[in-house]
Amino acid sequence: MTNEKLIQVVDLKKHYNRGAIRALDGVSVDIDRGDVMVVIGPSGSGKSTFLRSLNLMEEPTGGAIYFEGQDITQKKVVMPDGKKVRLDIDAYRRKMGMVFQHFNLFPHMTILDNMTIAPVQVAGIPRAQAEEKAMALLSRVGLADRAGAYPLQLSGGQKQRVAIVRALAMEPQVMLFDEPTSALDPEMVGEVLDVMKELARDGMTMVVVTHEMGFAREVGNRVLFMDAGKLVEQGTPEDIFTRPQNPRLQDFLSKVL
Amino acid sequence: MFRAEAFAKTFEYAELFVQGLICTVSLSALTVVFGFILALALAVMRLSDIHVFRFLSRERQRSLTARGGALYALARFNPLRFLSTVYVEVFRATPMLVQLFIIYHVVLAGVGIPTFKLFGFIRFERFVPCVVALALNSAAYLCEIIRAGIQSIDGGQTEAARSLGMSPWKTMRFVVLPQAIKNILPAIGNEFVTIIKESSICYTVGVQDIMYAVTTVKSAIYTIAEPLIVATCVYFCLTFPTSKIIAHFERKMSAGDRRSGADTARVRKSKNLALKG
Repeated sequence: MTNEKLIQVVDLKKHYNRGAIRALDGVSVDIDRGDVMVVIGPSGSGKSTFLRSLNLMEEPTGGAIYFEGQDITQKKVVMPDGKKVRLDIDAYRRKMGMVFQHFNLFPHMTILDNMTIAPVQVAGIPRAQAEEKAMALLSRVGLADRAGAYPLQLSGGQKQRVAIVRALAMEPQVMLFDEPTSALDPEMVGEVLDVMKELARDGMTMVVVTHEMGFAREVGNRVLFMDAGKLVEQGTPEDIFTRPQNPRLQDFLSKVL
Repeated sequence: MFRAEAFAKTFEYAELFVQGLICTVSLSALTVVFGFILALALAVMRLSDIHVFRFLSRERQRSLTARGGALYALARFNPLRFLSTVYVEVFRATPMLVQLFIIYHVVLAGVGIPTFKLFGFIRFERFVPCVVALALNSAAYLCEIIRAGIQSIDGGQTEAARSLGMSPWKTMRFVVLPQAIKNILPAIGNEFVTIIKESSICYTVGVQDIMYAVTTVKSAIYTIAEPLIVATCVYFCLTFPTSKIIAHFERKMSAGDRRSGADTARVRKSKNLALKG
């Protein structure tokens, strides 16, 4: 399974105001199946924009993103019979789970309904089956007893664990994490990171934007360092943390480690 | 000021007030239904993202970024939003009575509405223009309420739903609207009560609502104060429970907002799950 390209990012750009602001300025990277790619960098470096571009939460202004070979930044796809049809971005988003900094659970639904809404309404899975699966996923993160609760009744760490399994309920090919522990109280960071570590051990492809350098070191197999919208340096955690080459990376590490 | 015998005389015409009550209720209920549907459509139009001249911008993005220049202004032109905005502004800036007269005497004057009596006393050909006028008017107000409600929902909710693969429509239907409607329920309740009260102008075109009963009784017993008091009471008995019923639904819908307090529905659901698990 390894070394099989899942996502190929080519010269990705996101410019505002005719290029006056360049949130992303030509980022190219391949994400293979089974990769746990950790993206680090100072705030405003474009790492969140990069992650959010992968499932087109942010629309890039240039470049391409190939998901399983299909450029998803195009609005039309050419079918084998030569016909052009609208690219169904929702179908691709289903294959990419996303976890947000602020959890974004649906507050008007119980935890169980949060878990089953997309499988039932989007994937068309029968409700009973979706609930069974949701309960199994909730047990995995130790929250089966909270299935009937509403998000407001949960702690931040619990909410984020639910958010992770909610994304997993759609059986994505890759999980995108946008600073998943940044909004958490310090004592709750561990429980969320544990879930992510387990996910990584199970072989899930993950792209993680985080400030948790310990996690990057321990769980990541590749680390990207971004600065000013550019991919400045990439390598194994070993390379990045012990033998940083670029002065900006050295400077960044000296501040955060 | 008020005389007991005048009240006694007024109550002899109780039948008229009952008919008026039925008429006002059906008028308001139909207005609410049609007004809300139209308002929802207008709100969605107002928040839509359709740009017929978008090709002028030569941008490949689905959403157009804000930029100066006449070409960009044209590229961003959204005919649906334009129509909806014009509608809302015109209907909110003109008197209800004028709108009713225009609908009744001009717009629907030439339309052959079947002439029969609804429930045996409501003249249908006068009733329909009133429903149309009231619905068109309240839709303008409801549209703004709904739009504000939709915009008050955190963008993260839409992002989460879209990231799960939900279409824009399903995101609206299952995630944004339920939360938005919960937030705007007090405002909608106000608007519903307003509709009941505003429907009183329909007596001017001869619809037999509560106010029409007042004028009829007035000319029969040569006094207006007592019939007016009766009408006031009938209106109050209509609007007060309405606002209470809406307040009840408001409490019911905010189940997720409370951290504590055993909500019966929630307890039942978690019990079911415990049994299943």
